[in-house]
Amino acid sequence: MTRVFFFVYGLIVLTVVAFAEYRGWSLNRVDEVLNVPRSVRDNPGSYRSVYSSYHHYTGGK
Amino acid sequence: MSSAGPTPAGNPHVKSLNCPGCGASLTVRSFGNAVTVICESCHSVLDAQDPSLKILQQFHAATSEDPPLIPLGSRGKLRGTLYEVIGFQRRTIQVEGVSYSWHEYVLFNPTKGFRYLTEYDGHWNDVSILRALPNLSAGEATLTYLGETYRLFQTAEAATAFVLGEFPWQVRVGEVVRFSDYISPPRVISSEQTGKEITWSIGEYSSGRDIWKAFKLPGDPPAPIGVYENQPSPLSQSVKSIWSLTGVFLILLLSLAVGVYWTESDEQIFEQTFEFNTSAGGEASFVTDIFQLKGRTSDVELTTTAGVDNDWIYLNYTLINQDTGHAYDFGREVSYYHGYDSDGSWSEGHTSNSVTIPSVPPGNYYLRIEPESDPNRGLIRYAVTVKRDVPQASFFGLAALALLIPAGLVTWRSLSFEHLRWAESDYSSPGDGSLLSTVGTIMGSLKSGDDE
Repeated sequence: MTRVFFFVYGLIVLTVVAFAEYRGWSLNRVDEVLNVPRSVRDNPGSYRSVYSSYHHYTGGK
Repeated sequence: MSSAGPTPAGNPHVKSLNCPGCGASLTVRSFGNAVTVICESCHSVLDAQDPSLKILQQFHAATSEDPPLIPLGSRGKLRGTLYEVIGFQRRTIQVEGVSYSWHEYVLFNPTKGFRYLTEYDGHWNDVSILRALPNLSAGEATLTYLGETYRLFQTAEAATAFVLGEFPWQVRVGEVVRFSDYISPPRVISSEQTGKEITWSIGEYSSGRDIWKAFKLPGDPPAPIGVYENQPSPLSQSVKSIWSLTGVFLILLLSLAVGVYWTESDEQIFEQTFEFNTSAGGEASFVTDIFQLKGRTSDVELTTTAGVDNDWIYLNYTLINQDTGHAYDFGREVSYYHGYDSDGSWSEGHTSNSVTIPSVPPGNYYLRIEPESDPNRGLIRYAVTVKRDVPQASFFGLAALALLIPAGLVTWRSLSFEHLRWAESDYSSPGDGSLLSTVGTIMGSLKSGDDE
């Protein structure tokens, strides 16, 4: 029973990996925005990324 | 346990006699084979070989204080042979001031002779006398019998505390034997020494349910408590088969990884170098030329390489589908610092950074890029590279972990079982309870499993 369960489990793991690679899944998550206006191409400053207020690292050791 | 040969083949001999001590009726089931018989009424140990049933010993006990779980006279089939329960005894050992008792049942078949069942805390063993001597190792820590190695588990002195029925040896209450148990689950080989006489027997672990079924006993057998010395691990075969399957699946996973790295295009679809002048002022954001993502929905990897040296640049990215307006927002920092202090040289960060955007459909895309950095930095050059259909090694790592976890859990449970077994042993070697010794024990049991 344990063997059958593990056999099925192993098949599922391999299938998920193969599917994830095929569909281009990633562990990264990015924000998706819908309906960005075409005018951004002509006026990039009209769009503000959600990351524009990100307080990034600015120093070394 | 001592043994005696059976009478010639035939039906069971049952004869009724009277106890010379109390006059109570005695039923002798193995007449001619029993050496001693115990009167159930007055607990006289009688010489069954003597026509007048000479009283050898009398002891004070109430039969009801320790009734046999399998009543005397019960008949049941073990290994295809019908046996009758003719004797019962309780034996006791003292360990660090604590008494431990187990029960032994004498079984008899007119053609097959004697056989025994032992029971301790719901754990049963089907025992028979060895017809050949096992080979003891030099230190007597192991023995081999029929090519199988048995490890010494315990040695103790056991005293007979209670007897009932018939026995093929001169049984006495208070009789003390020195015994040693050598185990190779599910078997145990025991030596019992009385004076200069040593009797060897071999037992095989049996479930109480099977015993109950064989003797058609009412109710349920007592539930086993703890792990017994030769109780087979319910997981030893699972450990072996799951690790075999894990190996197969890991090989399949490796093959899959090779296939994915071989077939995925890892196609570079955009590369351009930009300059960012931090002191220029004005709107820093801009858009790139349009590039096309072809093929199926796939991941997209964007790599930023910047000429930063003890400096940083932060880039707000938006990957925008020209046709649908669907956009992916993300930001990446590229920073690299290095120097020298009292601890020596140090460095922090890298001059490049990659990010993977999952499941991007095909289409025409462009990037909106908004760089930021120290306003006094001046000119920073950076390159942006976009690839699609890039293999993700992390999935293979996670899958390998996911495959190893069940095997690890089963192994851990098996180790725990062996740890409980050897915690009851008198001997520190090989089962001193340490992980290493327990692993060794499991490997030994797996090897034994192979041999079977």
